[in-house]
Amino acid sequence: MKEHTFLNIINPVRDKMYRMALRLLISKEAAEDATQEVILKLWNRKDRIKHYANIEAFAMKVTKNYCLDQLKSKQNSNLRIVHANYETTNISLQSEIEVNDELEWLGRIVATLPEQQKIIFQLRDVEQFEFEEIAEIMDMKPTAIRVALSRARKAIRENLIKKHNYGIT
Amino acid sequence: MELHNIEKLLERYEEGKTSLAEEKLLRKFFKNEDVPDHWRKQQMIFRFSAEEAEKKLKSTPQIRSGKDWYLKESIAAILIVAMGLFFYYDPAKELNENDLGTITEEEVALEKAKETLAMVSQFMNEGKSELIYLKEFNNTTHKIIKID
Repeated sequence: MKEHTFLNIINPVRDKMYRMALRLLISKEAAEDATQEVILKLWNRKDRIKHYANIEAFAMKVTKNYCLDQLKSKQNSNLRIVHANYETTNISLQSEIEVNDELEWLGRIVATLPEQQKIIFQLRDVEQFEFEEIAEIMDMKPTAIRVALSRARKAIRENLIKKHNYGIT
Repeated sequence: MELHNIEKLLERYEEGKTSLAEEKLLRKFFKNEDVPDHWRKQQMIFRFSAEEAEKKLKSTPQIRSGKDWYLKESIAAILIVAMGLFFYYDPAKELNENDLGTITEEEVALEKAKETLAMVSQFMNEGKSELIYLKEFNNTTHKIIKID
């Protein structure tokens, strides 16, 4: 496989991989590094990649496993610290600030979910994968995925209501 | 879109039973600004996932890594060291026929051998004469036993 063909396959997936890494590792830098590492891994295994029916799902699976390994390894335990990811954006409207605040809260709520639910929520609600694909990525049965997804969705809504009512999560 | 329908879809959404097409309908519905107040939370969630999907990787991934280079370099270095050890040539350690002093003439060889053996026996006798003192050991112990 040529470099060019490989990049053509990877380019549509790489943002999804990055978002998955970001969901799990939280820090933007760590997520970027992880995406880079996973793409390299895939490149090194390029001869086998051709045989996978669903390269996208395979890439997501490798990303997921890599990030979970990163979280497990001791050196990266500091990644658990929530990064603020400060950015200078021009927000002029009060309502926009409120909306961003709410969205930020949602990000924090999602971050408190168990890793499995977090990943499934990311794959389904953000990336809109089919259940069969998620089953492939997660090595789980589709029914189990539906259960986990349902739990994640309910937990997010309940936490959001709780936050709204008491101002805490 | 009937609100009743949305209600049902939302219920199934929370059960994890909606299909991608149905979720698309929900997404489309909640994209609208004017949704009933009791669905504000759901709207936030849908907006959140839509926003999350917009995040993009800023850096372009590189395929050629520094790691690869590192591996090749280290293999080359190990090879060089291994070859150096294997083919190392030290003339000083080379065995030389002349250095051994091998004697080719038979008579001279016999004489030399005799000389060497005589020297060995001479040193043997010298050493053996020193052993006489060992007798003193017996003498002294004898005396001690007598006292007893």
